[in-house]
Amino acid sequence: MMFKALSSDFLKIRGKGIWFLIFLGPLGIIAMQALNYGLRYDYLTQRYAGRLWETLLADIQMFVPISLFLGVTLVSSLLAHIEHQTNAWKQLLALPISRNAVFFSKFAISFLLLTLSCMVLAIGVAALGLSLRFGMETMPIGSILRLSFLPFAASLPALALFLWLCMLLKNQAVPITLGVLAAIGSVFTSLISGTLSKMLPLNWPMFGYIGPRQELFVAAGFAAGCVICLMGTLHFIKKDVN
Amino acid sequence: MNEWIIETKGLSKRYKGRYAVSNLNLKIAKGDIYGFLGPNGAGKTTTIRMLLGLIKPSNGSVNIFGKALNKERLSILRRVGSLVEYPSYYGHLSATDNLEAIRRIIEAPKSRISEVLSIVGLAKEARRPVKGFSLGMKQRLGIASALLGNPELLMLDEPTNGLDPSGILEIRELIKQMPKQHGITVLISSHLLSEVELTAGTVGIIRQGELVFQDTIANLHQQAQGSMSLVVSDPEQAHITLRQHGIESVHRGKTLLLEQTSDHTVARIVRTLVERKHDIYRVEEKRKTLEELFLQIVGEGTQL
Ligand SMILES: Nc1ncnc2c1ncn2[C@@H]1O[C@H](COP(=O)(O)OP(=O)(O)O)[C@@H](O)[C@H]1O
Ligand SMILES: [Mg+2]
Repeated sequence: MMFKALSSDFLKIRGKGIWFLIFLGPLGIIAMQALNYGLRYDYLTQRYAGRLWETLLADIQMFVPISLFLGVTLVSSLLAHIEHQTNAWKQLLALPISRNAVFFSKFAISFLLLTLSCMVLAIGVAALGLSLRFGMETMPIGSILRLSFLPFAASLPALALFLWLCMLLKNQAVPITLGVLAAIGSVFTSLISGTLSKMLPLNWPMFGYIGPRQELFVAAGFAAGCVICLMGTLHFIKKDVN
Repeated sequence: MNEWIIETKGLSKRYKGRYAVSNLNLKIAKGDIYGFLGPNGAGKTTTIRMLLGLIKPSNGSVNIFGKALNKERLSILRRVGSLVEYPSYYGHLSATDNLEAIRRIIEAPKSRISEVLSIVGLAKEARRPVKGFSLGMKQRLGIASALLGNPELLMLDEPTNGLDPSGILEIRELIKQMPKQHGITVLISSHLLSEVELTAGTVGIIRQGELVFQDTIANLHQQAQGSMSLVVSDPEQAHITLRQHGIESVHRGKTLLLEQTSDHTVARIVRTLVERKHDIYRVEEKRKTLEELFLQIVGEGTQL
C-alpha cells in the first residue's frame, strides 16, 4: 500500500523545485570547494602535498551537517506544503489508503531524495578531486562514501522530526525557522568538546563521519529516527483532519 | 440493518464543549439521492467528515454498507467517492495529473481519467495546470476525482458552490443520472432547498447540529400543504359548530383557520356552515412553498 502512495508522491513533487534542491545542495558544496581550490591551487597543493584527498574531504565535511539540516527542513516543508496548500489532506485521507502508508510514504520519498543528494555529493567529490588532478590511485573511495552517506544516516532523527512538524503545522514558517536555527546551531554545537558534544543530536552527523566510533552515531541516528517516525505516525493516524 | 447504505446512531462531535453535531441518526437507502440540508454552520461538513473517517466522532457510530466505519474504514472507502467542502487540488499539476495522483492510490484503470474528465466537461482543459482554473472548474475536477473510482456511494458536500447557473444545472443533471444509470447512492449537502428539491428522494434537515427533519421529499411536500382560511360572519359560533362536527379550527378576528384542505373536507365545512345560516365571505387556500417550510424549519426550529 505504501508503494501506491509513494508512486503518487513522486508524481506530486514534479515542478515544485524539490528535484532542483536535491542537486543544488551537494553541487553547491562542491562548487564552493572548486572555487577555493581553483583560486589557491598552487598554495594548497604544495602545502597539503601527499594528503590532498584527505584535506579536500575535511574541507567539505565542515559543510555537510549544516547542508543536511537545511536540506531535511526544506524537503520536509516542500513535501508537506504540497498537501497543505489546498488542504489536500482531506481528499488524500478520504481515499482507501491507511494513514500509516501516507506518513511512511512521505518519509520514504524524502529519504530517497536525500539519499540521491548524498550520491550526487559522492560523485561530485570524486569528480572534483580528479579534475584537480589529485590522482585516481590515491582516491579514498571508502572515505568519500562514508563522508557522503554516514552523516545523513545520523541525521535521520531530524528528518523524522521535521517531517512530522511540517505535516502537523499548516504554517510552514515555524518548522522552517526551527530548521534554519538547527542548521546554524549545528555549526556552533560542533565547537563544544567532550562527552556533551557527543550527546547532542545536532552533532551526530559530524561524528557520523569523523568518529571515533562512527557506527555508534549512525546507529543512534537510525534508532532515534525510527522512534520519532513511529511517534509521528501514531499521532498522524489519530489526528482529526479538517 | 443491511438495507441502509449509511446509518448513523447518536453521531455527535464536540468542539471545546460545544456540539457541532449532536445525536444524529441518519438513514440513507440504497439508490437514493439524499439531500442533506442546513444553513451555514449547521454541521453538514462536520458530519460528512465523520462519515469519511477524517475526524473521530465524540459519540455515536457510523455504519456504511452495513459495516462499522471504525473497523472497516479502508474497505468502505474503496467503494466511496467524496468531495468535502471546497475542492482540494494540486495547483502545479494538470487536471489529468491531479487525477493520476489519486488513480495511483485507488488503482482505477488509466482510461477512467479521460472518462471522468469528459463526464464533468473538462476534457478540453485536461492538460492545463489547475491553479489557472476558475472555481467552477476546480469544483468539477473535485467531482471528477470523486467519480474516479467508480464509487457505489457518492458524498458531495455543497458540490455546486461556485458554479454558474448553467454549471449548477449540469451537475444537477449529472447527479440525477447516478442512481438511474449506475445504481449509485448519493449524499449531497446544500444550504439551499432548491438545490436538491428536484433531485433528492429523501431530505435530512440539520439545524445547529441536530437533525430536525428526515423524510421523503414527498412527505415534505405533504408538510408544506397549506391551510384553509374562511372569513365568516360569526367566527366564534362557526368554530363551535365545526367542533360539533368533529372539525378543529382556530379563529382569529373574522377568520377561521383550518388545517384540512382535502376537497371532501372543505366541501363538508362549507355545507355545514351554510346550513347553519353562516355567511361565508371568502374561502382561501394558503400554500406554503417548500422553501418557506424549509426556512421555517431551520429558522424557528419547529420540530416537525
Ligand atoms: N475544527 C473545528 N474546531 C472548532 N469548531 C469547529 C471545527 N469545525 C467546525 N466547527 C464548528 O462546527 C459548526 C459546524 O460547522 P460545519 O460542519 O462546517 O457546518 P456546515 O458545513 O453545515 O456549514 C460550526 O459552528 C463550526 O464553527
Ligand atoms: Mg460546510
